[in-house]
Amino acid sequence: MRQFFPVEDLARDERFVQTNMAERMRDARSAVPVKKSAKSRGASNRLTPERHDASDAARSLMHGIMVGEIQALEGAGRTAHDFEVGDGSGDTIPFELKLDMARQAWDEARHVEISAKLSEWMGTEIGQFQENTVLFEAACSNDPVLRLAGVNRALEGLAIDVFTQMKEFGQLAGDPFLEFCEDWMLADEVTHVKMGSDWLRKVTENDPGRRAKALEFQQVVDKLFSFGGARGEGQESPIGLARRFRELAGFSDDEVDAISQMDHDALEERKAAVRLAQEAAGV
Amino acid sequence: MPTHISVAPETFLFVAYDAKRIGEITRELAEQLGVSNPISIEVDETTPLSKMSATIEGPASPDSTILLKLQSGALEDTKHLTNFSEKRARLSLGRVMLRAVDRLRADFADAPADLQLTNSQNAAWDVYCGGRLERMRLGPVEQQYRYDFRNRFGFHDDIDVMFDRLWSAEDLGWADLPIAG
Repeated sequence: MRQFFPVEDLARDERFVQTNMAERMRDARSAVPVKKSAKSRGASNRLTPERHDASDAARSLMHGIMVGEIQALEGAGRTAHDFEVGDGSGDTIPFELKLDMARQAWDEARHVEISAKLSEWMGTEIGQFQENTVLFEAACSNDPVLRLAGVNRALEGLAIDVFTQMKEFGQLAGDPFLEFCEDWMLADEVTHVKMGSDWLRKVTENDPGRRAKALEFQQVVDKLFSFGGARGEGQESPIGLARRFRELAGFSDDEVDAISQMDHDALEERKAAVRLAQEAAGV
Repeated sequence: MPTHISVAPETFLFVAYDAKRIGEITRELAEQLGVSNPISIEVDETTPLSKMSATIEGPASPDSTILLKLQSGALEDTKHLTNFSEKRARLSLGRVMLRAVDRLRADFADAPADLQLTNSQNAAWDVYCGGRLERMRLGPVEQQYRYDFRNRFGFHDDIDVMFDRLWSAEDLGWADLPIAG
């Protein structure tokens, strides 16, 4: 079976259309006010049922979750398969780490099914929205430790934030299925991040340089996964940063603070880029 | 049939939309709905959101201009962002034109302006429009409307009964919609 699968070769049927971050960032429109003098359209952009476009936004996010779960399944599956068993040095991984990745793949497969059902419940067709493949790109490193940082800590960390937001949405809207399903998936994601945190520490125990490189890679991925500030602690961001669940998953306060700052910077960079594009167009 | 249909902007900078095509679709829908009023369409292409509104300029009459305002997301192909979707455009323009048709009726005179409607009022009116769009064979996804309605009114069986009544209704007035007023 083939190892080290490139993002371009992911198997999808004709319903799916893929995109990437570069394409997404070329869109010069913005859902948040970008002019320096402009006031926010309301108190918050947070995804809650009070938003006039709540159902549309929830559908789009749920579809993003579903394709994200597919990519997380593919990422965990690849990590279980791509590396030889060893002591964790070089490009080997301990057998127990393989078992954890296999367990994660099984969890993600279940999440894909749950998310597909929830999408149907919300009135969404599979493939209705484009699929951003940036999540799987974080799972393409040749170094298993970078995979742990990119997939288990950055991607699954994002999943914690998104599931927390969607669970709250379901709770506020009184949608029993959404709230229940998101809560169960959230519990799995906390476990996945914890596995990544634990294995990253263990495998790099005697190699501080490798650990530093992995954490640096995680920062790069975390900034990408902010999606131009779509995630952040400020009310302008639709998705919040789930501090408590991140703590449970092994993130330190300093790490969460750093992610929060990156989210804020990403939002400001995105707004500046949109502002420039709109000014250039005379808007 | 409509004497005049205008679309602004005439040239789009942020999205790959064609003002002429938007006008053609609007004309087809107007013919299908029997609308002869002048129609003015304004698309806000600086936002990907999809809010829409319909306003009748002046007292409601066959000569009043119908003003339709749409954010660009309402006409967008969600598989290929910034690109135009014929199907989405028909559904969005159809929905907002049905609102305009309703607003031309005397028994909708008390309806607040679209941007003043509560989320619940919006959802109820959308369901009433959605059922009619289905009977116009424009292919709205009923489950999508049902989910929106449940989000505003609750996830209960009696709410689903209320949804079914609205979805199959024709010839309602503003006071017939739930929690109007």
